[in-house]
Amino acid sequence: MTRTLSRLATGLTPLVILVAAWQAASSAGLFPPQVLVPPVEVANTLAELVSNGELARHLGQSLVRLAAGFSIGAAAGLLFGAAIALSRWTEALFAPLFLALRQVPVLAFLPLLVLFLGIEETLKIVIVAVAAFFPVALATFDGVRGVPRGWFEVARLYRTPLVPFLARILLPATLPPVLTGLRIALTRAWLVLVAAELLAADSGLGQMMEMGRQLFRIDVVLAGVIVSGLVGFALDRGAKQIERRATRWRTA
Amino acid sequence: MTRLLKNSLVRFSLGLAAPVALLLLWSAQAEPEGARSLAFASLDAIAAALVQLAASGQLLRDALVSLSRAVTGLVFGGVLGMAVGIAMASSPLVDRLAGPLYHSIRQVPLLGWLPLIGLWLGNGDDARLLIVSLAAFYPTVLNTYEGFAHVEKRYLEVGRLYDFSPAQRFRHILWPAALPLVLTGIAQALAFAWIGTIGTEILLGSGSGLGVTMATAQAQQRVDIIIVAICASGLLGFFVNHVLVLLRRQILRWQGAHQ
Repeated sequence: MTRTLSRLATGLTPLVILVAAWQAASSAGLFPPQVLVPPVEVANTLAELVSNGELARHLGQSLVRLAAGFSIGAAAGLLFGAAIALSRWTEALFAPLFLALRQVPVLAFLPLLVLFLGIEETLKIVIVAVAAFFPVALATFDGVRGVPRGWFEVARLYRTPLVPFLARILLPATLPPVLTGLRIALTRAWLVLVAAELLAADSGLGQMMEMGRQLFRIDVVLAGVIVSGLVGFALDRGAKQIERRATRWRTA
Repeated sequence: MTRLLKNSLVRFSLGLAAPVALLLLWSAQAEPEGARSLAFASLDAIAAALVQLAASGQLLRDALVSLSRAVTGLVFGGVLGMAVGIAMASSPLVDRLAGPLYHSIRQVPLLGWLPLIGLWLGNGDDARLLIVSLAAFYPTVLNTYEGFAHVEKRYLEVGRLYDFSPAQRFRHILWPAALPLVLTGIAQALAFAWIGTIGTEILLGSGSGLGVTMATAQAQQRVDIIIVAICASGLLGFFVNHVLVLLRRQILRWQGAHQ
């Protein structure tokens, strides 16, 4: 307990120093207040955004998009990755196209998708799904391919029915790499969603920052940066936690 | 049946089938009487756009601008990232001070910095370069740190036995041991720098570069140009990554024996 506390203290010290230096720089008037907003003011803005429900609205909207897009993209990635890993024929058919499309940075699809889908909800969900699809598909492919051949043969020898085979052999064996892939996909999806909201949205955390920029409200922009960072941290930490729980049996 | 797949010609044509089907589907949508012929540019139009962009030199200019932006960011972010990673790995104090700062800043989605940096530096090349450098910085720090923090103890003991100076220790033990991970970091940094380049170009949409061309084409509803630019960004990303893989193989040639 004391160890975690002292760890927390050393971890927080540099952040405290940074905020103190920031406060000192802005009260000393090193930069004009529109350029370097004092941290107190950012905290006030943040509190105001929380109390008037603005932040909850934007954040809620972003998280709904993230959840919808991520589940679609991850499900598709799991299916596709497993399909090209299990059958040499589907691999020969689809792997080259998949690998070619993977070379394109996901954000490059944004202008194209805007023309196809407009700038409504569908756009954000689709781009998030695309962002999540590639890492998950790749990780699933690697995971399933990584299962030793012998295990398949043993299952065949014992005539293990398909469902127990999937549930008791294939799933546990592929879980660790797939979970890592899902975590990477989640971070990637969050990055792409914020970018898409900066470009085209009427709500969401990214749009809140973009509005702040257009109105020259650095405090709002900084509040958005802080919240988006916290969300990123929570997503990453949560996914790591799940990963650790689900793969605990391996180290035991 | 599966033996057929060993034949590289069969594999090749199978691999070609999906893209060809996709193209056919695309051009069916692009038929003039098709409901969405506006959104789906015909293949002729895309080819014409490619020829026009290539002949006018715009494609080459865009590619070079984007590429040099990514590489400049890679150099800035990579060098700084290696320095920070080495410092964090060799001094526990630096690690404890800079580590939490690094990990908290890293949580902010890369392009989420854009509005803030845009306000500070303006929406020009400086803002873009800073984001691209940041994109390259993160993975370099992480991998350099891992590489230098986990050098095998026995190598270090040999160095102590021979009374190596710190410089010798770095040159002959730490650096070669960490090099594979450092190179992994640089490869990841390049991928991120490329994403950052295209992303910031699309979002800021001024000047030139492949992403700028995409943004402009989006405003003019020119799907054909967007497709050409997407293909170019994919090919260029692949090409640069491939160069890096070859370089890595060249640099780590000595490793081949025991790996």
